[in-house]
Amino acid sequence: MTTTKLQGPGLWTTSVGSFPKPDYIKKARSRFAHNEITRDELLELERRATKEWIDFQNSIDTDLVVDGEMYRGDMVAFFAEELPGLEIGGLVRSYGNRYYRKPIATGPIGRDHAITVDWWRYSQSLTDKPVKGMLTGPYTICDWSFNEHYATRRDLVLDLARVIRDEALDLERAGARFIQIDEPAASTRMDELDLVIEAMAVVTEPLSAHTITHICYGDFHNAYPKLLDIPVDQIDLEFANSDYSLLEEFSDHPFTKHIGFGVVDVHTHRQETVEEIAEGIRRGLKHIGADRIFVDPDCGLKTRTVEEAQTKLTNIKKAVDIVRAEL
Amino acid sequence: MTITTTVIGSYPKPPDEGEAFVVRQTLHKIERKEATSEDLVAAQDDLVRSIIAEQESAGIDIVTDGHARWDDILTPFARHIRGFDIGGLLRWFDNNVYYRRPVCVGDLEWAGASSVDAWRFADSVASKPVKAVVPGPISFARLSVDEHYGTHEEFVLAIARVIAQEAFELEAAGVRYLQIDEPALLDAPEDLPLARKALGIVTGELKVEETEVTLATYFGDAKRLGEEIFDLPADVFGFDLVAGPENHPIVDLLPEGKKVQAGVVDARNTKLEDPHELADEMFGLTERLGADRVRFAPSCGLEFLPREKARAKLAHLAQAARRAETKGA
Repeated sequence: MTTTKLQGPGLWTTSVGSFPKPDYIKKARSRFAHNEITRDELLELERRATKEWIDFQNSIDTDLVVDGEMYRGDMVAFFAEELPGLEIGGLVRSYGNRYYRKPIATGPIGRDHAITVDWWRYSQSLTDKPVKGMLTGPYTICDWSFNEHYATRRDLVLDLARVIRDEALDLERAGARFIQIDEPAASTRMDELDLVIEAMAVVTEPLSAHTITHICYGDFHNAYPKLLDIPVDQIDLEFANSDYSLLEEFSDHPFTKHIGFGVVDVHTHRQETVEEIAEGIRRGLKHIGADRIFVDPDCGLKTRTVEEAQTKLTNIKKAVDIVRAEL
Repeated sequence: MTITTTVIGSYPKPPDEGEAFVVRQTLHKIERKEATSEDLVAAQDDLVRSIIAEQESAGIDIVTDGHARWDDILTPFARHIRGFDIGGLLRWFDNNVYYRRPVCVGDLEWAGASSVDAWRFADSVASKPVKAVVPGPISFARLSVDEHYGTHEEFVLAIARVIAQEAFELEAAGVRYLQIDEPALLDAPEDLPLARKALGIVTGELKVEETEVTLATYFGDAKRLGEEIFDLPADVFGFDLVAGPENHPIVDLLPEGKKVQAGVVDARNTKLEDPHELADEMFGLTERLGADRVRFAPSCGLEFLPREKARAKLAHLAQAARRAETKGA
C-alpha cells in the first residue's frame, strides 16, 4: 500500500462522510417517494445540496473534502439498490419509530455499473481539495442484510468484497486519491474480525489510493491491536464520545497507521469548545505524530442540524489552527 | 401426538406493503401535536389485535402481544422502577437494532406495574393463552449501568426484587405462562449461582401451582453454562437452536419434569426453512425428549424480520408441527 500524503505538517481536517440533509432535500425525498417529483428533479436538488456542503468545506479550508452523502438514504441500501443479487426487502425497525428496508441477498452478487463515480466526479469538480471516494464495506453490507442465497456469511462477504473492489478501482481510475471503505459493523462480533480483514484485503490489494476505514467501535479493548491488521492506510475512530479513553490502549500497543481522529461527539447538541477540541488533539499528539493524524468528527454528522454540524466543523478547524501553530 | 408451538415475544409492527401503519403515523402526529396519547393507545390496541390474530391464524398455541407497545424489552420496565434513568442507545447484542440502556442512580423500587394492563388487553382479545414476558435480572443488570449499588450482586438482586413484584402482579391478573428472558446469561457462566438466587426471588413470588415459568435464552448457545442451566428455577428452558446448534447436546440432558422451548425457525433471516427438514428436526426432538417435553418456537423474537416474512415463518412452524405429529402418529 502506498500513501498519498497531503501537503503541510499534518493535522489535516476532514469529515467521516455524512452531513445533515437540508429541509428541501428531506421534503424532496418524501415527494419522490410519493411520485410527486421525478428522479431528475430530486437529483438536481441533491446536486445543489452537495454543492452547498462542498462550498462550506471550501470556506473553512477543509483539507480532505467529503460530498456529504445528500443522495443516500442509508449506507447499505444505497449500494444494495444498485447491485444485482441484492433486493430491497420489507421494513424492519431499528429503534422506536425508525424503520429501514433491509436488503436480502437473493442471488449471486454482481455489479453492472459504477455506483459512486458520477457523484465523486461532480464533487471533485467543485473543489481544488481532494474529495474522498465513499464506499460501504463488504462485511457491513452482509451484516445489515438478510441472506437467502449464500451457504455461509463468508461466501456472501467475499463476493461483496469483489464488487466493492471493482467500484474502488473505478473511483481510482476517475482520479480519487483517497478511498474510504466504511465498516461500522466490524466490531459487532470479535470472532468475525478475521473475515473483516480477509474481505478488506480483497478490496484494497489492487488500490494505490490512500485507503481509510471508519469503524464505530463496540468492544475496542478486545478488538485492539488486532484492528491494526485491517489492510488499510488509515483507521477512523471515535474519541470524543469516550473522553479519549481509547488513547490508553495506544500506550501498550502503538497505533501504527494514519488515524482519523474524532474530536466532536456527533450524538449531542452540545458544542464542544475550541479549546476542548484543541486539548483533545494535543492528547492524540502524545501517541501519534501530526503527519499521521486527520482530525474529524467522531462519526457522520447526519443526525445533527445543518447549523449544529457547521458549528462543530468550524470549531474543529479553529482548534486545528491553534494546535498546528504549536507544532 | 400433539406438538405445542409458541413464540419468543416480539413481532414486527409495520403491516404489508401498502397498508397504513397507524401507530407510526400517530407517533408522527404526536410530535406535531396533532394526536394524543389516547390515540396512540387506540392504535396500539389495534396493532395488538392484528398481531394476535396473525399468530392464531398461523396456528400458534401460546401467543404474545408481540411487545407491540415496547421500543425494547428493558425501557418499559425501567420507566416503572424508581432509581432508573433511561440512557442512550446501544446495539442490541449482535443485531443492527438498538435499545436504551437503563442507568441505575438510586435504590430500585417498584413504582407500579409495567406490563399488567398490556397483558390484560392482549388476553381479552386472544382465544389462545397469552404469555407474559419480563426481562431477567442478570440480563437487565448486564445491559444497564450501575452507578449506585457498586457490586454486580447487589444490583442484580435489587432488580430481581422489582421484577418479582411485577411477576406477582402478572400472576394475580391471570398470567399462567410467564417467560423470563436471560439472553445475556449465555456469556456469563460466572453468574450462574447469582442467577439461581435472583430467579429464585422472582419465582418465589408466584403462588399459583399451575403457573409455568420459561427461562428463555437466545442469540447463542449455552455451552458455557452446560447442564447447570437446568438448576435454575424454571419449568421450561428456552434455547436458540439456530444461532446455537451446540445447544443440542445440552437439550438432551433435560432433567425429568422439565420442558424445552426449542427455537428451530430462524427469526433473524428471511430465508424460509425447508418444510420437510424442519418437520424432521422437530420430529427428531420429540423422539429424543418426548412430545410433551418439548415445544417449538422461532429462534428469538420475530421483530428482526419484515412482517410478511414473520407471518410466513410462523405458518411454516405450525405446519411443520402438524407434519411432525403425523410422523409420530
